[in-house]
Amino acid sequence: MSSQVTKASPALPAVTPQLQWELEQFLYAEADLLDRRRYRDWYAHLAEELHYRMPLTFNRQARERDHEYSRDDESFLFDDTKATIHIRLKRLETGQAWAEEPPSRTRHMISNVRVEAGDAPDSFIVHSYFHLYRSRLERQVDHLVGGRTDLIRRAPTPLGWEIVTRDITLDQSTVLSNNLSMFF
Amino acid sequence: MDHRDEINSILTGASGWTRAEILGLVDEGRGTLDPRIYTDERLYQLELERIFGRAWIFVAHEAQIQKPGDFFATYIGEDPVLVVRQKDASIRVFLNQCRHRGMKLCRADAGNARSFTCSYHGWAYNTAGDLVSVPFESDAYFNEIDKKQWGPVQTARVEVYKGLIFATWDHNAPSLDAYLGEAKFYMDAFLDRMDGGTEVIGGVTKWVIGCNWKFAAEQFCSDMYHAPVSHISPTIAALPDGIPAEFAKWPDKGIQFRATAGGHGTGFFSGPEKFIPVEEREDRLLLGLIGPQAGKYYARESREACRERLGDVRADRINGAHMTIFPSLSFLPGVQTLRAWHPRGPNEIEVWALTVVDKNAPPEVKEEYRLGVMRTFSVGGMLEQDDGENWVMIQKGLRGFKSRQAHFNSGMGKGHAKADDPDWPGVIGNVYGEEAARGFYAHWGKMIATDDWASLYPAEVKTKAAE
Repeated sequence: MSSQVTKASPALPAVTPQLQWELEQFLYAEADLLDRRRYRDWYAHLAEELHYRMPLTFNRQARERDHEYSRDDESFLFDDTKATIHIRLKRLETGQAWAEEPPSRTRHMISNVRVEAGDAPDSFIVHSYFHLYRSRLERQVDHLVGGRTDLIRRAPTPLGWEIVTRDITLDQSTVLSNNLSMFF
Repeated sequence: MDHRDEINSILTGASGWTRAEILGLVDEGRGTLDPRIYTDERLYQLELERIFGRAWIFVAHEAQIQKPGDFFATYIGEDPVLVVRQKDASIRVFLNQCRHRGMKLCRADAGNARSFTCSYHGWAYNTAGDLVSVPFESDAYFNEIDKKQWGPVQTARVEVYKGLIFATWDHNAPSLDAYLGEAKFYMDAFLDRMDGGTEVIGGVTKWVIGCNWKFAAEQFCSDMYHAPVSHISPTIAALPDGIPAEFAKWPDKGIQFRATAGGHGTGFFSGPEKFIPVEEREDRLLLGLIGPQAGKYYARESREACRERLGDVRADRINGAHMTIFPSLSFLPGVQTLRAWHPRGPNEIEVWALTVVDKNAPPEVKEEYRLGVMRTFSVGGMLEQDDGENWVMIQKGLRGFKSRQAHFNSGMGKGHAKADDPDWPGVIGNVYGEEAARGFYAHWGKMIATDDWASLYPAEVKTKAAE
């Protein structure tokens, strides 16, 4: 399910401040790995069964508003597994991935973090907003804003957590960037 | 005063360009392109009027509008249009603009509608585009408005070729069949490989690239040459671990098609052999990037049925193809992406991309295409990311004074293409060549400079597909 279409009743987090803090710190640390281009270190925090998705965003009439984002069998902007993320990462390491060579400078600003209990004791559903700023070459600038809903669980990774699923929504129905060469 | 024979624009009057100057921008004899074709605002206005305002423009795949009232909102050039399935299953394409003050009638991307009611003053149109209701018709208009006169502007004609819907504003345009001409022979290898034709994976991927629309259209028309360089990284990255990077070598044998008239083009890898096992096919790399099941389906499982429909030549010898139908429809047979390049001024385009699959392909193959196309040819696709980078950097450079003066070299393979190939209709050159680009740009110039369709499509151009 996309992070923007949850129909649950409004509720304040039912987790402890300690856990909220831990998960926020994980999201910041993970963002820092991406922004420092430490892609292999970031990759180490992806679960084997990772499902990483970003649907298309549609403009719909009121009575078709349940179809504001791609359904499962439709085109997505991203629908990746750990294996396909690995291909994307290897591409960046070739030194010939021209869309990122010379590389972009990015800042993943993560906010509005809300945590829900998952269906296992050590896994949590974590909602967040992102503002991904990209500065590229001389003066290209992109602002990509949206929301994420992650399933994150404790794991023996350097940061102590791993991402199991990441559902990303982008608030642009026409992507205003010439490519999406970054991770979200 | 028109002593310079300037082309007169309906909207802007004298365009500042004479017919001879327009035709001179593209010099086939020398094999050069004048960079101003990518930047000049007055030329761009002429393109909107004399190319997008006249040519057959792709607007949708039939599978996008299946039921009466289904609509898809798109563009012909910069003109917003609605493509609507009618109650009698016919299709109408009309301007997405209210005739009262020009408000966009429908602001949804797609859906199903019983009517289109303008959200400004409430003029309401049925799905055929007839004005059916005007608020306060008796009190405000004294029942004097002739509603029949005030429907949105309709395209002159709408025709379908194997699932693809095209429309033209020009009543004098040739039939779509004649417009596509020889290109149909090659289009069929994309649209008609299997019984049942094609359908689409839902959702149109849209993004903006800061470049002139012709860079994109020309590349898909004619440019296999960029692939081994621009797209080297995904070909290396997709190799299994332990395989040396030299294995990412792109094939070198293949041909390119230039429409004898019309500006269409395609190119693909092709050897003389009739049957090549999938593991040795020259497009195995590309098919591998989409996925193993899709690759096997395309290259092996569907081949016999495809042969029966299209014959050996097209079933076996079109590998890894790119194609553009003039002016702005492009697709990649085998990779199955199809896109319209919508112009947005001389310096920007919107890419609207669809994934097209054989309707009767197995579900797991369709699913692999859904995933494979988004990972390769899409805004986040590992191949297409690099195209965006190239075109943006070219366009930025063309802001300069000198950079718009030095002509570009479009002479690759000039003088080495031949007509009358026994297997392939049209003018045939090498896969790494610019014969199709020269055809594309020559037609671009002619279409702006020439008023009558008859001289754009000489009657003697016979089409193999029509025979």
